[in-house]
Amino acid sequence: MAFTRINNKMISAQIVPGQRILSQRGSMLGYTGEVTFQPNLMGGQGGVMSMIGRRVANEDTPLMTVEGHGTVMFGHGGHHVHVIDLVGDTLYVEADRLLAFEGSLQQSTMFMGQQGGLMGVVRGQVTGQGLFTTKLTGKGAVAVLAHGGVIELPIFPGQPVHVDPQAYVAHRGEVTNKLSSALGWRDMVGRGSGEAFQLELSGQGAVYVQASEVKL
Amino acid sequence: MSYPPQPPQSPYGQQPYGQQPPYPPQGPPSGYSQHQYEQSHQATQAGMHVPPPPYQASPAGQFGAPVFQPPGGDAPQVWDAGTLPADDNVNPYCFSVDLNGAYYLQKGKMIAYYGEMRFSGIGRGVLDRVLEQNFNSPLHASDWVVAEGRGKLLLADRSYDLNSYDLEDGNLTVRSGNLLAFEPTLRLKQSIIPGFLTLIGTGKFVAASNGPVHFVEPPIRVDPQALVGWADCPAPCHHYDHSYLHGVIGGLRHLTGIGGASGEEHQFEFIGAGQVLMQSSETLMADRSVGVVAAEAGVPGAGVPHQQHGGAPGLGNLGNLGDLGRRFGL
Repeated sequence: MAFTRINNKMISAQIVPGQRILSQRGSMLGYTGEVTFQPNLMGGQGGVMSMIGRRVANEDTPLMTVEGHGTVMFGHGGHHVHVIDLVGDTLYVEADRLLAFEGSLQQSTMFMGQQGGLMGVVRGQVTGQGLFTTKLTGKGAVAVLAHGGVIELPIFPGQPVHVDPQAYVAHRGEVTNKLSSALGWRDMVGRGSGEAFQLELSGQGAVYVQASEVKL
Repeated sequence: MSYPPQPPQSPYGQQPYGQQPPYPPQGPPSGYSQHQYEQSHQATQAGMHVPPPPYQASPAGQFGAPVFQPPGGDAPQVWDAGTLPADDNVNPYCFSVDLNGAYYLQKGKMIAYYGEMRFSGIGRGVLDRVLEQNFNSPLHASDWVVAEGRGKLLLADRSYDLNSYDLEDGNLTVRSGNLLAFEPTLRLKQSIIPGFLTLIGTGKFVAASNGPVHFVEPPIRVDPQALVGWADCPAPCHHYDHSYLHGVIGGLRHLTGIGGASGEEHQFEFIGAGQVLMQSSETLMADRSVGVVAAEAGVPGAGVPHQQHGGAPGLGNLGNLGDLGRRFGL
């Protein structure tokens, strides 16, 4: 595994020749050895068309390619860092929450409407995530940022998990999500519970939730 | 050049507050309350560190997910003047100083105190004249006060992690915004690197960091923003890395700005023997005027800078001297 947890806000990554790591620009804290940090023109992987796609989808978080040999420490903004190991499955995460991920993962942009149809679009708008999200597939480790500690909630078939859209960080696996609204007349007159919108995730996988309702 | 994974270490007598869960207890706990804290903290850690459930696990509880128990038996500890730790952390974010005499602290970092103590600006009064001899940093004098008296003094800073460090005839350089308090037995000087203060001598000081402090050993290159300080090793030098701007494509990129910069072109390079202290943040502690109460409802005198309306009201505007007046405490 490429990422080692130092404390709840720092990770270190072993960089070996031939394997690269993509990370958010400016998130390097320190390094030993000979390592180069090259701004990634494409903002990720997948060639020019993917770059254009990301630009259009506003998922083009500035990335840099980390290569060489040595140890690099990553962290950003004092946010908590959570390392997720992917074993051939898929992680859906917002691009600006990505701290670093291994180059062995395939990165692509996904239209929200693919999950939950029209309600997925509404969900993206309500939660401030936009219409698109970033998808990482393959075998490797991902480090995501969160405000507050991260809790992993497993999702099993027939037993959906409801999370607050603001506390949602990422999810993995074969999961469909939809925005369930409990809007009533109380919300209309400003006496709502503050929990009118919830994200309902069902299927097989896991959802990562942060212990805070502050968006990054 | 490889950087070996380091065991939990605590140089300079630093109290390892849960930075690394399996830390070896270093010496006997310094008191009843300290012991209490460790126990409760361990319990919290054990409670929070629920091993991630197996990804393909079968449903565990009635609702599928394992039941997240709150840390059991973790009743809130009630502190009083007798049970507050002496010169030790109350929790990772709060430090209790057993004051008997004088202590330097940065303005606005005191959150509460027991006992009799006075807070006065540096350079005022008879005792301060003596104390001023080990405060050799006039640039920062206006940001510091002296606490005199007896009692328990509680320090905190925006929920940053606090740690105390013991120096024994040593030196340690720390970012000025991260230094909270120090014993008058230490001498404070300005470092060659702007924005850093050097403490020399024997004594204890308290420093803050965003996230736990991580100790590394040279040779290492550190992002300037992630640097908390360093001890015993020579002052760092600048390291610039623009190698990707070479060649034709690089020249184009340099000229047009297309592609941007990686943000990691400049590091501090440490060589030699010693320790480098890093914090897990790229955001600096805001370089705001310390001692100014934020403008909020219910806070009298909010938004008014203390030092400008303090001793010399006529000197609030020093013309084109800019920030110097504030720096010198005028």
